[in-house]
Amino acid sequence: MIEVRDLSKRFGAVQAVDGVSFSAADGVVTGLLGPNGAGKTTTLRVLSGLVQPDRGQALIDGQDVRADPLEARRRIGVLPDARGLYPRLTAREHVRYFGELHGLGGADLARRTDELVELLDMKDIADRRAEGFSHGERVKVALSRALVHRPRNVILDEPTNGLDVMSTRAVRDLIRKLRDEGRCVLFSSHVMQEVSALCDRIVVIARGRVAADGTAAELRAQTGQENLEEAFVSVIGSDKGLER
Amino acid sequence: MRSPLAIVLRKEATDHLRDRRSLFSALLMPLLGPIVFAASLGLVARSVRADKPLVMSVVRGQAAPNLIAFLERSGAVIEHAPADYEAQVRDGKLDLVLVVGEDYGKELEAGRPAPVQLVVDGSRTRANVSIRKAQRLLHGYASQLGALRLLARGVSPQLAAPLRIEELDLATPEKAAAQMLVMIPLFLLMAAFMGGMHLAIDATAGERERGSLEPLLINPVRLRDVVLGKWMATVLVTWVAVACTLGAFLVLLTRLPLADFGLRARMGAVEVLGMLAAVLPITLLAAALQMLVATFARTFKEGQTYVSLLALVPMLPGSMLALAPVKPALWMMAVPVLGQSLLMIDTLRGDVAAAHWFLAAGLSSAAFAALCVAATVRLLGSEKVVFGR
Repeated sequence: MIEVRDLSKRFGAVQAVDGVSFSAADGVVTGLLGPNGAGKTTTLRVLSGLVQPDRGQALIDGQDVRADPLEARRRIGVLPDARGLYPRLTAREHVRYFGELHGLGGADLARRTDELVELLDMKDIADRRAEGFSHGERVKVALSRALVHRPRNVILDEPTNGLDVMSTRAVRDLIRKLRDEGRCVLFSSHVMQEVSALCDRIVVIARGRVAADGTAAELRAQTGQENLEEAFVSVIGSDKGLER
Repeated sequence: MRSPLAIVLRKEATDHLRDRRSLFSALLMPLLGPIVFAASLGLVARSVRADKPLVMSVVRGQAAPNLIAFLERSGAVIEHAPADYEAQVRDGKLDLVLVVGEDYGKELEAGRPAPVQLVVDGSRTRANVSIRKAQRLLHGYASQLGALRLLARGVSPQLAAPLRIEELDLATPEKAAAQMLVMIPLFLLMAAFMGGMHLAIDATAGERERGSLEPLLINPVRLRDVVLGKWMATVLVTWVAVACTLGAFLVLLTRLPLADFGLRARMGAVEVLGMLAAVLPITLLAAALQMLVATFARTFKEGQTYVSLLALVPMLPGSMLALAPVKPALWMMAVPVLGQSLLMIDTLRGDVAAAHWFLAAGLSSAAFAALCVAATVRLLGSEKVVFGR
């Protein structure tokens, strides 16, 4: 369960986030849709406790992130905007490093690593060093190290960005699987297709504010548009920075 | 469950054991110092061998038979100067040429100063020893002749010698050797400031550049533990580098026939421990300083530019001490790098400083290191550094 209340953050002259509120429930995929620069990434960074908001609150399972960032981070698995790997470590070692930092170890960690290698179809690359990995392979490693501690809440920043069709399908299957396990999945995207194909609920963000919030049917009803794409465009006010 | 600090430390160690550049800066770069040392010892050896007899090329020697005889008695080898002697001196083929003046005999007989000329090239340091010897011989001959003349006139030559100058060289062989051995502390300090350089930059600026910093910081670990783990990994690599340098110097000092060169260095267990006690604390500071500086950099290359400048720091006290030697005082121990230089030089000279001097130097370095680590933690906690481009 992820909750954001009246969140605001300013960087210099830019008001990146301006009073954003929404919540993402367990067992539901919530999509954060908005054009590039709408404030999605900043909102997600506040949730992982790396950015301090000027105003407002971020709650993970009802706990204030700012009050206890370490506890909040234990409860979330994050695929951030930056997904750099260590070129001299193997895929398996990446997963193990993050697992250990989450307090896992021994046979449990080894089993979980094998599970993730299976789940994300990484058998070919599991024991290869990360230098020379393709973009898709790098995202897989970044995803598996984010999920190593079986987090209740999963936050993914543009997870399918730059992936080919096969990898995109694999990530979509993973997101559905996480939801079916009862986890709270929050992901951001600027791709309408992506959001409408996957999300149970959609939060539309534009210029740092929530422009609309609801299921696809609710959004269509709100805007009076039959087509979901047209609904988005009418909510945001333009289709600049969005991808169909 | 292992501590986050140990986890980070182990990861950085595994990562960098696989990195050729890290291994190079930890294992091969430290050997540079001993190699330079051995090479310059070779040069010293050559100049010591310059203890060969003084060779004097003489023009018109037949005009001054007594002078030539005196010089030969004093051990000089007399040769006939070639016609182009000036050019040969300028080219360094001849160290010096003695030209007996045309009026030498006449003036000498008349009791007036007889002209002799010493042709030298003052810019050639290699010839300095020969020139000084030649000058001393000529002065010796002149005062001997002068004394004889005074005696012939019934005057005591002592009247013409108001001063009796004696040189007493107080440098023990160890102290003279220390002149040469000053290089050892310098290279040990350089190893301390270069050994862990690659890891320190890669673990900070490199982590930012490749975009792995944000994922790392999202883990439920205190930033302090992450920074301490990376710092300890850097310190460990630096120790390897310092140990390599010291080990190579030990091999050199025991294997090379130092005594033949007039050098005597004592490198027993006490001296080795003294050197380690002096240099190890500064590695804590060097690693912390490198990480702090590299954290300001956005890319590995940028970090390398800044941190390479840091590697010049150990040169400062070394060259300062060479130009203006100071008498070590307790307060100097608290100045990082300067304290270590003085402690190591004294140790090599054979008088190991008191324990509380080592303690003062060590504590000061450790305190500065703690400040740098704290500053790095602060920096990495700032949004601008983590996300700044």
